[in-house]
Amino acid sequence: MSDKARIMAHIVPYYPDKERSWDAARALIDAGVAYLEVQFPYSDPSADGPVIEAACSSVLRNGFRSRDGFEFVREITRYSPVPVYIMTYAGMVFAPGVESFVAAVKAAGATGLIVPDLPVDYDEGVYAAGAAHELDIVPVVVSGSPVNRLDATRARKPSSVYAALRRGITGAQTAIDQETLEFLRSISSWGVRVYGGFGIRTPEQVAAVAEHVDAVVVGTAFVSTITCAVETGSSVYDAVRSFAASLVNCTE
Amino acid sequence: MPELYNDYFGEFGGRYVAEVLRPALDELESAFKNSMREPAFAAEFDEIASTFVGRPTPLLHASNASRALGGAQIYIKLEGLANTGAHKINNAVGQALLARQMGKTRIIAETGAGQHGVATAAVCAKLGLNCRIYMGEIDIARQRPNVFWMELFGAEVVPVTTGARTLKDAVNEALRDWAASFPDTHYIIGSALGPSPYPDMVREFQSVIGRETVMQTTQRGLDVVALIACVGGGSNAIGFFYPYLDLPSPALIGVEAGGTGTETGLHAARMTGEGRPGIVHGYKSLFLVDDDGQVEDTHSISAGLDYPGIGPQLASLGATHRVEFTRATDRESLDALRFFARNEGVVFALESAHAAAEAIKRAPNYPAETAIIVNMSGRGDKDLFITARALEPERWREFLLSEVSGIEHDLSRADAALAAAEENR
Repeated sequence: MSDKARIMAHIVPYYPDKERSWDAARALIDAGVAYLEVQFPYSDPSADGPVIEAACSSVLRNGFRSRDGFEFVREITRYSPVPVYIMTYAGMVFAPGVESFVAAVKAAGATGLIVPDLPVDYDEGVYAAGAAHELDIVPVVVSGSPVNRLDATRARKPSSVYAALRRGITGAQTAIDQETLEFLRSISSWGVRVYGGFGIRTPEQVAAVAEHVDAVVVGTAFVSTITCAVETGSSVYDAVRSFAASLVNCTE
Repeated sequence: MPELYNDYFGEFGGRYVAEVLRPALDELESAFKNSMREPAFAAEFDEIASTFVGRPTPLLHASNASRALGGAQIYIKLEGLANTGAHKINNAVGQALLARQMGKTRIIAETGAGQHGVATAAVCAKLGLNCRIYMGEIDIARQRPNVFWMELFGAEVVPVTTGARTLKDAVNEALRDWAASFPDTHYIIGSALGPSPYPDMVREFQSVIGRETVMQTTQRGLDVVALIACVGGGSNAIGFFYPYLDLPSPALIGVEAGGTGTETGLHAARMTGEGRPGIVHGYKSLFLVDDDGQVEDTHSISAGLDYPGIGPQLASLGATHRVEFTRATDRESLDALRFFARNEGVVFALESAHAAAEAIKRAPNYPAETAIIVNMSGRGDKDLFITARALEPERWREFLLSEVSGIEHDLSRADAALAAAEENR
């Protein structure tokens, strides 16, 4: 087992602008994160915390289109073998047709797709399309979900599962308690890769979760890091790289 | 016999929400199904409907207007005479009773213009439930009078500062609250849309409008050829049309917001060409969205129609042509409002005035012995600041200025009194 933590780092393409979001992506890769989660901004996000929503809104105001997101992902996958997951909402996946969207995700070189508001029993065919295109469709499960929901998800036979570690929405502080660890253990027992996150922002939290998951998802904290660098006029690359490194190296 | 719970209506509807909200909706679905089977629940609803809401609402023969237009007799279902001024209260009562039955002690709701917020706040005051209303910062600035009423009823009105700071952002904020709070909290959605079971549930609570209409028109032996309702999310329309859906007639006509033109951003009409299938706010329906699925800007003089989506059941009824859709512009709606005020002594809410405008266009096409029923889903008192500004801007401006100077005078006298009291101490 590596002594470094495996991080799935969340990034919003074109935030704060094209060039600096590319800097942020490179910084994450150079710092050694294990996965990138690229969120396509959507006008009506139902599961974003205020920090990510604000970043997405500003990107949309600048005219973001889905094709810009795919182009961004294509650049990353050309630059690095780090697997990229695209995360977005049902509205954007459904608009061009689920099949076309999934094909575009694959064509961009991404490894998988995360759509929190396409639950397994209202999936619009995204799992079938994913299987056809050999794309990893990642269901989101929540700590505290009733057994019937977990069973329904498991029945889809996903290869990866995104485990949200608290009720509610990204961003607030998450305590890693016994119940959370139990939850992670039970999902791992399905024989899937588990990406666990929601509210993780410190090396201590990463260290607490890392050994129980395939990767620790960190989202809001990276967006805040970028926002802070922009506001203080400092380098986005440097800020993101040093924060990412502190998380990756938390177990040392 | 129509189904109580459908989930999907043709291709539209569904429950497209993240897992975090799923237990809340699953619990709500079963509570809804159980309660609607209980005679005691219906009795409680009827009791509050008659003593608090003011039901049944009257059916007015608009005889002067009908004579002036020639053609069909226009009847107006005066839904706007319900407590708090609109049909919104029917749904608020139903859902609040359901919440209480589920053991929830706290209510949250989103509101755009404020009518749903006012109805919800009033019902919570009546039933003794804690109430928090999410409202976009921009809407709060535009709709101060409604914020005043909500707070008077004891609700906490929380400004939403994310996104566009309007209705859709208030929905997102309410969902965010609910995702963490549903064990003790119920979220009252204000229209017949959102993830299932909301479209079915809101329609059930609003169908009291349609049931009364059937009774009132039958009692008077009317030959009803058309029902006309405005359509934003569509809760007044679906409730009004509901008993007639499985019948071949009368014509059921939904009127959307034509705004100031047909270009994107100037209207909120989804059913006459511009709407596309989409998934937004947890349900599949027709929306004003672009190629990427991003929600587009909308406009209407009536805040209640200024929403990019339509309830899934109405979208489906449009696809099967049981409901016919048309639009009325801001101007036509204002003209209709003035026409019925002058001829009948009733003031339509700007939303409902869209339906009134369609009645004016259509009545002359029918024989005089037939009847058209227009649902006046709300009354126009709430629109005073918009209507007066649009119809007589100069005199309204003078009035507002004199109000401002009056308030300033009061405040400076209060300040002076305070200063004097300090000095005497």
